[in-house]
Amino acid sequence: MWVSYDRKLASATLLSRAPDRLGGVSDGPLLRISGLTKTYPGVTALDDLTLDVPPGRIGLVGANGAGKSTLFRILLGLSHPTAGHVEVCGIQVARDPIAVRSRLGYMPEHDCLPLDQTAADVVSTFGELSGLPARAARQRASDVLDLVGLDEARFRPIGGFSTGMRQRAKLAQALVGDPELVLLDEPTAGLDPIGREEMLQLVDRLGSFGISVLMATHLLDDVQAVCDHVVMINAGKLVVSGATNSLLERTGLVTIDVGRHTDELVSGLARAGISAVAVDDVVEATVGDDAQMDAVRDVVAQLGLPLFRLSTRLRSLDEAFVRRSEELA
Amino acid sequence: MSDVLADPALAAGATVEVNAVSVWFGPKVALSELTCSFGPGVSGLLGPNGAGKTTLMRAIAGLTGVNEGTVRVGGRDPRRDRWVHATMALVPEDEAVPGGLSARQLVHYMADLRRVTDRDAPERALRTVDLLDAADRDVGTFSKGMRQRAKIAAALVSDPEVLVLDEPLNGADPVQRLHLIALFKQLGVNGRTVIVSSHVLSEVERLAERVIVLVHGRLAAAGGHRAIRDAMDETPRHVLVRCNDNRRLAGGLVALESVTGVRFEAKRDELTVETLQARELAVALPQLAKSLSIRLIEVRPLDDSLESLFRELVR
Amino acid sequence: MSSLPGSSGAVYDRGYRPYDGPRGQRGAATFALYKASIRRALGLRRTWRQKVAPFVLLAIVTVPAIVNVGIGYVSRNRFDAFEIITYREYVGVSSALLLFVALVAPDVICPDRRQKVLPLMFARPLLGTDYVVAKVGSIATILFAFSFLPQMVLFIGNMLVSDAALDYFSGHLDVLWKVPLSIVVLAVFYAAIGCAVSSLTDRRIVAGASVIGLFLLTSISSGVIVDQTAGPNGGAYGGLLNVLVLPLYLRDVIFLGHIDSESQLAGVAGGGWLALACYLVVLAVASGLLWWRYRWVER
Repeated sequence: MWVSYDRKLASATLLSRAPDRLGGVSDGPLLRISGLTKTYPGVTALDDLTLDVPPGRIGLVGANGAGKSTLFRILLGLSHPTAGHVEVCGIQVARDPIAVRSRLGYMPEHDCLPLDQTAADVVSTFGELSGLPARAARQRASDVLDLVGLDEARFRPIGGFSTGMRQRAKLAQALVGDPELVLLDEPTAGLDPIGREEMLQLVDRLGSFGISVLMATHLLDDVQAVCDHVVMINAGKLVVSGATNSLLERTGLVTIDVGRHTDELVSGLARAGISAVAVDDVVEATVGDDAQMDAVRDVVAQLGLPLFRLSTRLRSLDEAFVRRSEELA
Repeated sequence: MSDVLADPALAAGATVEVNAVSVWFGPKVALSELTCSFGPGVSGLLGPNGAGKTTLMRAIAGLTGVNEGTVRVGGRDPRRDRWVHATMALVPEDEAVPGGLSARQLVHYMADLRRVTDRDAPERALRTVDLLDAADRDVGTFSKGMRQRAKIAAALVSDPEVLVLDEPLNGADPVQRLHLIALFKQLGVNGRTVIVSSHVLSEVERLAERVIVLVHGRLAAAGGHRAIRDAMDETPRHVLVRCNDNRRLAGGLVALESVTGVRFEAKRDELTVETLQARELAVALPQLAKSLSIRLIEVRPLDDSLESLFRELVR
Repeated sequence: MSSLPGSSGAVYDRGYRPYDGPRGQRGAATFALYKASIRRALGLRRTWRQKVAPFVLLAIVTVPAIVNVGIGYVSRNRFDAFEIITYREYVGVSSALLLFVALVAPDVICPDRRQKVLPLMFARPLLGTDYVVAKVGSIATILFAFSFLPQMVLFIGNMLVSDAALDYFSGHLDVLWKVPLSIVVLAVFYAAIGCAVSSLTDRRIVAGASVIGLFLLTSISSGVIVDQTAGPNGGAYGGLLNVLVLPLYLRDVIFLGHIDSESQLAGVAGGGWLALACYLVVLAVASGLLWWRYRWVER
């Protein structure tokens, strides 16, 4: 499975927030979860979850169950855990949910904006509901609508918006209060490929502004493209939590695409002492060190074959997820 | 195989034929003189929102009439011929499932509706989509992914020849996605005509042998996606190259005939090479690297994916 | 070199400006919701079609005041203090006001639920109680304003039309506290009921019809009961069932010191206290209902 870096967008490392910010920024992990369990009659949504999550862009991937929405509710202080503690931005959620909510922005999956008001009006009202004075709310609404790319449309009622525009308006509403952490629930759902790319670019930019993002999604491609850190949950249990890059494991295999000349290449490599095998339309060679890597290059050059693709085979997140889920089961 | 079928929009042994079809709703033209066909195997149907994919699927299923042109499934008109309904199943994206029914009940209901005689068919269908444990729960309590699977099971129970699916992987978690992709591929291998519409292009790449791309109700491209890419001759290709001495390699690349542009990105330590002659470049590259004693680490065509193709087509 | 104009330039990053200003908590959020609900009910910041109903209603409700003042003016030399409507009667006289509650309360309560805006609201520093207080408060405020304005027109008009304005003023000082108090009693009551009933459904029409239905039903049934069981003065306990009119008993107590002899409670022993008790019970039920419907935090 090719790792598609097409979508790995250019992004600087996460900038720390401007040092003169009032109110202070908590150092340390963004989320500190320990022993978190939530059961409903008959269903265990979260099962003894323990993890620390650093600031940045985090992908939350889940399978089999209500874990994702439950986790969001708990982070927002809208649901009490059956057991365990959660700390968000340094604040214990159980002790002061209101303070936590002041630092969070939330973008739900479903349609949730009043349809008969204009985007500008809605976002500015929600800014006031986040505690901003009216004038500041209007200002921030304007800034944030600019950021998400809603231009003249902002003065039209939301009822007339396309899916892509509604998603942007939803994101704007989540950002208007200048949150430290934004919870995004399937932000690319319903968007066509172009819209999806634009939304992912937005999410990427948020990271560069110092706003952390917790993005719940089923699309591992999105996570791979944009997230620095991945948390995977299956049936309420933690499967893995780690930096995205660390999960893309290197194998010892190199994949070579020379078009239709696979057999020629396999024998050529064999003559050079490199074991290789044709798989579908490409050749997979076992390369142990740099010298062998150069040997591959030389064989291709000598045979005059076209080198369309050469890459060290990485396991994609899909595979990592499936493998680890099966290990747990 | 000779190039008898010159038009890649038409499939060999077509089961679903769309001929010069136009559909409009008042002033809005949903489909405009569309001609294409689908045969056994998995075909992808792509396009931006509002391009007419849903209208086309509904027309194929006979749910919408066409203002001009003809739609034929197995040679018959899906709008008039009830036989078509027995051999075809449509899994629409958004339609609500009747509440109060369990998954099992839903599938049995569909089986009755379609007069399926095989008693085991409903259970088989439920097993195929991995809904056996949750089969007796009310569908209203399902997550989006589970509802999709329930709808797919309901569609599969009648063992249809033609299966039309609108965003079937929507809401499915990664494990389910893999299962469903494998399922659809298997159905294609078994000779069914499977038409899948999806926005997640990387999955369509894995799933479908050929794709039909609609933009603004018109056919924008058709065929295997690599072949479509090849057909777009005038657009330059871009190849990403990483090696252990990018600057020197860049110098050498600039001298090559086949290269129309080289971009060196110092921050990410990679080169992007632009060319109109992809094959010539591919041959020259390893030879150049060898002569300069530069180790190649990665070579990757950037516009090979369905995503970049899509972007080009929709522009 | 740098003294030349235009010899230096800079590009400013429009990227993202963090917010460093004051940030309110629950109180600010509640107040913002209160203001936003009032705007919504009055149709401000929306199409002017939405403004028609409230303002037409305001006009209708003010008509008696204008008529009274007009007639008073025309007849000022011929009669003394002509009144077609007393201040007491003017408080809550109007079925127009009832229709208004049935129109405006659902509009402020139901769309939030129907369009699933509530999760966004409660993801903010806003508790269920805050939400309810803001919403009920906004309706109550509007009802208060729409009842008070005509009263002001009446009072000032009467004052100007009378022979001696200042005498009129000093002679009617009690009106100045009785009117606002009884209007508050009314406004809070109808607002609470309107919101409570509306919170049971997410469809505005159903809610509006239910509000009207509730008032009409209790009104009619209490009328029937009182007819059947009327005591010597024409009133009976059944009058307490009349939810629509309950605050008006209190209004009478405020203005007259006792239950009005023409009301359904006439002659009932301890009528005033009973009316107050029932009033509070209804408010408690409405509050309980609202609390139940807006419990957003799971245990």
